[in-house]
Amino acid sequence: MTSSLELSPSPQAATAPAVVADHLIKHFGDLEVLKGVSLEVPEGTVTSIIGASGSGKSTLLRCMNLLERPDQGELAIADEAIRFTRNSQGDIIGLDRRQLQRLRAKVTMVFQQFNLWPHLTVLGNVIEAPMRVKGLSRKRATALGEHYLERVGMADRRDAYPAFLSGGQQQRVAIARALAMEPRLLLFDEPTSALDPERVNEVLGVIRGLADEGRTMLLVTHEMHFAREVSDQLVYLDQGRIAASGTPDDVFDDPRCRQFMAPAA
Amino acid sequence: MDFSWLSDPFYQGYLWEGFVNTLWLLLVSSVGGLILAVGVALARLRGPQPLVWLAWAFTTMIRGTPLLVQLFFFYYGVGRLLEGVPGMRDSVLWPLLSDPFFFGALTFILSVGAYSGEVIRGAMQSVPRGELEAGRAFGLSGFQVLYRLWLPRAIQLCLPTLTGEMILLLKSVPLVSTIALMDLLQAANIIRDETFLVYEPLLLIAGIYLATTIVLTLLLRLVELNFPGMRPTRRRWLPIR
Ligand SMILES: Nc1ncnc2c1ncn2[C@@H]1O[C@H](COP(=O)(O)OP(=O)(O)O)[C@@H](O)[C@H]1O
Ligand SMILES: [Mg+2]
Repeated sequence: MTSSLELSPSPQAATAPAVVADHLIKHFGDLEVLKGVSLEVPEGTVTSIIGASGSGKSTLLRCMNLLERPDQGELAIADEAIRFTRNSQGDIIGLDRRQLQRLRAKVTMVFQQFNLWPHLTVLGNVIEAPMRVKGLSRKRATALGEHYLERVGMADRRDAYPAFLSGGQQQRVAIARALAMEPRLLLFDEPTSALDPERVNEVLGVIRGLADEGRTMLLVTHEMHFAREVSDQLVYLDQGRIAASGTPDDVFDDPRCRQFMAPAA
Repeated sequence: MDFSWLSDPFYQGYLWEGFVNTLWLLLVSSVGGLILAVGVALARLRGPQPLVWLAWAFTTMIRGTPLLVQLFFFYYGVGRLLEGVPGMRDSVLWPLLSDPFFFGALTFILSVGAYSGEVIRGAMQSVPRGELEAGRAFGLSGFQVLYRLWLPRAIQLCLPTLTGEMILLLKSVPLVSTIALMDLLQAANIIRDETFLVYEPLLLIAGIYLATTIVLTLLLRLVELNFPGMRPTRRRWLPIR
């Protein structure tokens, strides 16, 4: 793909889904964690993945930026088919490093445990990847970083170190860090699960704002009301399989996940 | 107490030379040793199997034998052996190989490399995996993750231990007086031999060591306090409460 195409996507590219995953299979040793998961995330929409602990939600999400490498299946992300190296049985055994770097600049992630870099300031955390991965000058990266820190309401703490921030503040910085790469796709892995209850809403508020902006997002969450409210598509994962998917209303009404939903209803 | 010899410019010269050599040896060994230590830690954590084994053997040998024995081994053993190699005396390396400072620095660099290597290895292992994973997730290369995230974080975690080792190192320096290197103890020995005063020169260099240790401790404390991202609870000026 040429860079001019990336800068001004053709009408066809703009309507192509941000993610097309086809029959992903992933093992950890003998344990089959993803058992043929197919998923499409249309550009400009929000998809939430719900399901019990251990059902493979994180693994599926982490396949989207290839922190986990699937063992089988096809994956196309942000208009690029991922070029896997395969053995004679068709099992995936390798990746194209160059493509991997390029992909990770376009798909960024917000982690449950924030995973900020404690030896860098708030601003330092946000400009690190834009400078070192996208090659932006410090000046440009700083302008970008300040913009997104403003966006999450953390601009006044730009020179603080993560250890001096509350969990909710750290997670908002982590969101700014993910936004500063100006990604095509944002991944969230239970972004509020490690927070004190009174800090959850400030983070959900930021994510809701991003959804309203029409950003493409894939979100793993246990916040059922929130998922129902912001998602265009809901995916219910059960033991490595998609047990139900569709609009939030459809999935919430589906008898297969009624039982799972019950506590939230 | 007789300190009249202090006004002798010759003795002043010895003491000054001994003091400068001590600091210089400390600096060279700390810098060289820490670079080696990072190499040793990396070899043990990420090296191919032969390198893992080599780093382990190196660490075990250095930590398992006395520093003084190592110093003699390199200076009298390796040094004299090299002396016997034909043509060595005419080679460009000779000025280095005939200088006890070289052997003192070599021994201390290896020692710091082994001890601090283990400290850094432990610290690298205790950096939370998620932080490094975040680096990879944002597209940093393996090398960028190492030098931008992993090493700085590990050093942040073990900085108090590393600075403590540097203070200990300062007080190992007098060992080099045994290989005819002019350090503070060597200067005191010369003064004793010539003036027949035993206590006074020793008392003086003990005082110099004490003062140097205090100044160095405060300087290193300053480094610790200003290390990026140090947790608020560790921000206490003096190690005493
Ligand atoms: N790196 C790993 N090595 C081995 N097993 C793993 C690893 N990551 C996840 N698993 C296992 O895979 C299953 C699914 O994990 P995960 O995707 O984290 O589930 P969820 O996010 O839905 O709770 C669990 O049984 C978990 O123990
Ligand atoms: Mg999970």
